[in-house]
Amino acid sequence: MKRKALVSLLLTAAMAASCLSGCGGSSSDSDSTPSSSDNVDAEDSKSEESEGNGGGVKEFTAFFAVPGSEINDDNEIQQIIAEKTGVKVKETWLTGQTAEEAIGTIIAGGDYPDFIEGDQGTSQLYDAGALVALDDYIDKYPNIKEFFTEQEWDSLRQEDGHIYWIPQFSNIYGQERECTHNDEAFWIQTRVLKWADYPEIRTMDEYFDLLERYQEANPTMEDGTENIPYTILCDDWRYFCLENAPQFLDGYPNDGSCIVDPNELKIIDYNTTPTAVKYFQKLNEEYKKGIIDTESFTQTYDEYISKLSTGRVLGMIDQWWDFAYTAGDAIKSAKLDQQGCSYVPLPITIDKDTKNQWHNSGGVVNTGTGLAITVSCDDVEGALQFVDDLLSQEIHDLRFWGVEGTDYQVNENGEYSRTEEMRTSCADTAYKAAHLCTYSYFPQWLGTSRDGVNAMKPDGQEEEFYDSVSDDVKECFDAYGVKTYVEMLGTSEAPGAWYPMWSYSNNLTADTDGGMAWTKMGEIKHEYLPKVVMAEDFDGAWNEYMEAYEKCNPQDFLAEMQTELDRRMKEAEKYK
Amino acid sequence: MSAKAKKRKENTSAEPKVKITVKELKRQKVLLFWSAIIVIYGFIFYYLPLGGWVMAFQNYKPAKGLLHSEFVGLDKFKRLFSDETFLRVIRNTLAMGIINLVATFVMAILFAILLNEIRQRRTKKVIQTVSYLPHFLSWIIVTGILHDVLSGTGIVNEVLMNLHLIDKSIDFFAHPSYFWPIVAFANVWKETGWNAIIYLSAITAIDPSLYEAAAIDGAGRMKKILHVTLPGIKPTIIILLLMNVGNVLNAGFEIQYLLGNGLVQSVSQTIDIYVLKWGISQGDYSIGTAAGIFKSIVSIILIVIANQIAKRNGEERLY
Amino acid sequence: MENNVKRKKKKTSAADMAFIIFNSLFMILFVAITLYPVLNTLAISFNDGTDALRGGIYLWPRKFTLKNYTTVLQKNNLITGAYITVARTVIGTASALIVNAILAFIVSQKRFLFRRQLSLFWVVTMYVNGGLIPNFLLLKGLHLTNSFWVYVIPGMVSAFNMLVIRTYMNGLPESLVESAQLDGAGYTTIFLKIVSPLCKPVYATVALFVAVGQWNSWFDAMLYNRMSEQYTTLQYELMKLLSSVTNQGASAESMKNAVGAVTPTSVRAAATIITMLPIICIYPFLQKYFVTGLTLGGVKE
Repeated sequence: MKRKALVSLLLTAAMAASCLSGCGGSSSDSDSTPSSSDNVDAEDSKSEESEGNGGGVKEFTAFFAVPGSEINDDNEIQQIIAEKTGVKVKETWLTGQTAEEAIGTIIAGGDYPDFIEGDQGTSQLYDAGALVALDDYIDKYPNIKEFFTEQEWDSLRQEDGHIYWIPQFSNIYGQERECTHNDEAFWIQTRVLKWADYPEIRTMDEYFDLLERYQEANPTMEDGTENIPYTILCDDWRYFCLENAPQFLDGYPNDGSCIVDPNELKIIDYNTTPTAVKYFQKLNEEYKKGIIDTESFTQTYDEYISKLSTGRVLGMIDQWWDFAYTAGDAIKSAKLDQQGCSYVPLPITIDKDTKNQWHNSGGVVNTGTGLAITVSCDDVEGALQFVDDLLSQEIHDLRFWGVEGTDYQVNENGEYSRTEEMRTSCADTAYKAAHLCTYSYFPQWLGTSRDGVNAMKPDGQEEEFYDSVSDDVKECFDAYGVKTYVEMLGTSEAPGAWYPMWSYSNNLTADTDGGMAWTKMGEIKHEYLPKVVMAEDFDGAWNEYMEAYEKCNPQDFLAEMQTELDRRMKEAEKYK
Repeated sequence: MSAKAKKRKENTSAEPKVKITVKELKRQKVLLFWSAIIVIYGFIFYYLPLGGWVMAFQNYKPAKGLLHSEFVGLDKFKRLFSDETFLRVIRNTLAMGIINLVATFVMAILFAILLNEIRQRRTKKVIQTVSYLPHFLSWIIVTGILHDVLSGTGIVNEVLMNLHLIDKSIDFFAHPSYFWPIVAFANVWKETGWNAIIYLSAITAIDPSLYEAAAIDGAGRMKKILHVTLPGIKPTIIILLLMNVGNVLNAGFEIQYLLGNGLVQSVSQTIDIYVLKWGISQGDYSIGTAAGIFKSIVSIILIVIANQIAKRNGEERLY
Repeated sequence: MENNVKRKKKKTSAADMAFIIFNSLFMILFVAITLYPVLNTLAISFNDGTDALRGGIYLWPRKFTLKNYTTVLQKNNLITGAYITVARTVIGTASALIVNAILAFIVSQKRFLFRRQLSLFWVVTMYVNGGLIPNFLLLKGLHLTNSFWVYVIPGMVSAFNMLVIRTYMNGLPESLVESAQLDGAGYTTIFLKIVSPLCKPVYATVALFVAVGQWNSWFDAMLYNRMSEQYTTLQYELMKLLSSVTNQGASAESMKNAVGAVTPTSVRAAATIITMLPIICIYPFLQKYFVTGLTLGGVKE
């Protein structure tokens, strides 16, 4: 009797449960999710024809092991693209895991999406045999074929001679159209330049000298807030803002982990060059003078952004994307640009004779990772056809410019532009999710549109760009006789065939001596460089740092980089 | 059962000696039936995955799977224990684990007892509700606020300066010696109210007549707390203490990750951060498993010792 | 004699007075310190996102807006997520409570033959873990991935909750069980009719723990149901919205290409408040079981 009561209690609970989850299952069946309830086998469930989307739209799944924003199921442009191409891709992004971890679990489970971007886990996918070799297909798709040169395609071949992934970014069609310097630079507020009557600032010493003079003359902002002349972001992996300046100061491009001597083709360690010593000594001096923010080494990224957003910070070194879309927008929205708080980059090197390479022309193909198709995809040709379609001009415009009349307008010369209102809505999170669909981790072009007039993406459109910048920036541009951020720095030729070395060092692991040394060097630099800058006795602190640094065996790392450099140059020989 | 045995049971809470006989088995068949089901469940969901520990002795690659990865014996353990950094993160983890354990424990008990002394039911409920709310904030929010409060211009520095205790603001996150206390404070801040819930429910089980008796004896509030409330929740305190002793190596990951920086990394990194850096983000799962096995072994040794101590003192124990 | 008692009373009440003052001060300070982060989050959630970047918002929004809430509430799949989350919280809590209570009852029986062994079996589970990948393989093998049940079945029994209930049961007067046994009641009757009614406070506590755990979890949805949208949960959907929450995986390269993936702090605050609300609403119903006045609580023999 009593046992019955207990059993019936359990049964009721179980029934309630199965009812609820049953409802969950059935409600979803109706809303057009292709991976229906029983997809034990990855193969059978993916990319079925689904009715709900109207007119037999084929749905693919995609997983990108990078952070990203999801778009809504009923996204308008996604719908238009689906009507035109017959394909819709359900994108999922990395959440709360590292790329390696996410990819590791997916491999262990054997359930792959149709498309995958492995980021740092790409080589794991290759080792697991999870990817489909694409080289036999590429010739059939003109837009894909056109995406890279023969040499570039060959550089994507893995050890077994096949191509498995297509790098998506930094590929330039026709003439280069870059207005924004999306990379690293020494930035300075326009009010500082204006105060000094827009001087030529070429060297590190001139830069800090200007900050010092300005700070002495104007210790506060208009509302009385104290200025912070210079701050350094040092939070976690973002400490590149402290450590990698020596390579740029010596006039080399961003190889990320080392300098490549273009004549001798030798790897140089930028951490130990005379320029590195001079740079950190300078920071140390400025720290003692009170020019450098004392919270530099303990602030988090959020604190750094909020500091920049108040307009108090006169200058810093950073990559554009790291502050422009947050602090840059906040400065604008608080109308601080009227006080000259917008940032512009300066072409700074260690001395006047060194030519800067903060900005290089030409694309950067990161061969280490890209968009791949997995063995779970039952329609490789359909998937590639979709990638091919995405690269056609019509769809490309839809992805990055939006819908004509709604997101951009066309004048009689066929030039695209946006009104202020369109710009605002295109930057809005909710609008982006409901309306815009860039398929942002699928291959895409930079440079000039096939119509020969417009840029592939709005931020490459010169007039559009000039219209969108703040007045203080315009005034500054005019004073220097330039039109874009890039012209503030001047463009250098694309570096040699090895470039960029970071596409190799990013994928190093502790399995090799070089990779081990690389990780340890990072730890030591992260701990000691702040101490060096803050030290009372610079020489003593520097020597201590160097001692700890040498213990990491940096030569192992450099040797491995040299081997890779030699390999890349040898590959490049074949095409001369 | 003899009267003597019964007396011993009451004193030391030792279980009566019951022999395994057919009769006894039959008598307990309901208990045996349910425990068998639950043991099977536990075996499948908790013990079966331990087969994955074999990864620690392999150079595990997801591509090859558990069965075909290269066997490397104790290499991973050797690598861990020959690395100075790993020994340092063990120290950090243990130190933070112990400081956190003591701080959160004492605060939760103190708070529960003091809250129980509030006579107005409404006030009591409101305070209790407020106290557990920070539990629902993520670490990223809590550490963000903490950074704010402790910054050069934050409220703590301001108060200290106004009291003339210091004449220059302290950069709390730049000095390794402040790091552990800050982590402990953050834990207390976020979890005290939440942790107190268990003690509050334990207090409800205390026989009210004991308080009445104490009142007749002329005991004041302090005396009642010491002689009635505390002994009343002692079994709960002991059990939670025993469980948490086994958790000192799980001092956390997120909070140290979010509060740490280059200057304090020698004291801020925990085993979990080490595993992320040297294992997971390098595609090396074996290192993480090896560190996990190490943690499990230490935990089990600790709870066995703690349980023995509890047993000797006749207290509530884990098993 | 009479004089003596009087003096004693006066003395104790002075001490009590001091205690009450100390206690009140302690509680005021405590409430202020714990309430601040919540109020701060609330203020930021009602503040314009770009404006909030500048910091300096404490207890009141500077530039009021409801936009953060609409951004969160417009999130795709939020309804499905909320539905599944409610289902997993209800079913998960009910089943976990029943199973843990049964287990706790078994190991609280002093005559039970395998009492120590069974306790030890479960205690060990708190400190060992096969790791991410072995667990994933197991659940996949059991066909629990891409299913609702992955939220309920694994983790149903938890040694922690079991021990909390057991400790409470051990504290109940043994005479109750003994007299029932003399009346011929079996274990099932004792569990259902005698022990369980007395365990309401601890059941409420454990139910709260399990429910909050269920309500807040998202990692299992991400890991096991990544490709099964119909089983997404509220917290996973919000987590996807706040994809910058943990930047452990981020590198300069991936951030560069993920422009716009960083969600403003204000949206994060709004999401936090939205998930807290239901729990705050349900809380009083559970709270009455473990916050009681001295005269109401306790076991009457």
